[in-house]
Amino acid sequence: MKLRKLFTADSVELNLQSETKDEVLKELIQLLGLDDKSEAILFKTLKRRENLGSTGIGKGIAIPHCRSLVVNELRLAYGRKPEGIDFQAIDEEPVHNLFLIVAPPLEVSNQYLPVLGKIAQFAKDPDIPAKLQEIDEAAEFLDLLEERAP
Amino acid sequence: MTAPDSTSDAMHPQLMLLMELQDLRSQHRELEKDDGAAPVEKEHFHMDPAEARAQLAEKVSELEERLDPQVRARYELIKPQRDRVVVPVINGVCYGCFVSIATATVGDQDVHQELQSCENCGSFIYVVS
Repeated sequence: MKLRKLFTADSVELNLQSETKDEVLKELIQLLGLDDKSEAILFKTLKRRENLGSTGIGKGIAIPHCRSLVVNELRLAYGRKPEGIDFQAIDEEPVHNLFLIVAPPLEVSNQYLPVLGKIAQFAKDPDIPAKLQEIDEAAEFLDLLEERAP
Repeated sequence: MTAPDSTSDAMHPQLMLLMELQDLRSQHRELEKDDGAAPVEKEHFHMDPAEARAQLAEKVSELEERLDPQVRARYELIKPQRDRVVVPVINGVCYGCFVSIATATVGDQDVHQELQSCENCGSFIYVVS
């Protein structure tokens, strides 16, 4: 599965406004276009996952993820906070790039874990964080995925 | 049983609680499998799966205590039989038993203000829009 096919321009936000970890999770959730109730449940589930250990994997990258009943297919979003945000990342550095991954409890295609691993590998590629900072439009993010995560 | 909020788009608090429980149980179950989330969480997120499972189990117990007695009784009845106590209904089909649910049950705009079950498999249902 190509990562490019799992994102749309609507699910990309290059100038996140939030200033706290909770706010940024909510802002990312909003990119999925769910109803209010579903957003509230998803936020709680993501928070519970964060309580088990931050999904800030270092080098300015965070990958909040979970399975939740509120989606009926694998959903992804990308958000960028150019100034960085405190996400309690493992290297204690601010996070600039956030990839949200939400999967339903049961997936026929079973893509969730492979996609989670693929996003982690893509994001940890040494030159990717710098390339993500240079992007001006959502389409460029999608092109980068096409090029670097085939 | 606790009354739902009065707003039209409110969700029954016990349904919300059951959904939280379901999501936590999903996470716990996935961390149990050797080919599940545990290796990915360990490799990329430095999680200790055993410790995470213990934390999740504790949280599940805590939330179970908050279920109303009637709901808890039904929950305990379904739990040993099915992995998922709450199942999504997508396009009118219960994803617990894959049987169609009556339109009158799932078509209502306020469907989540009441705690509803699939008449066929008994699972609590959540209609995914």
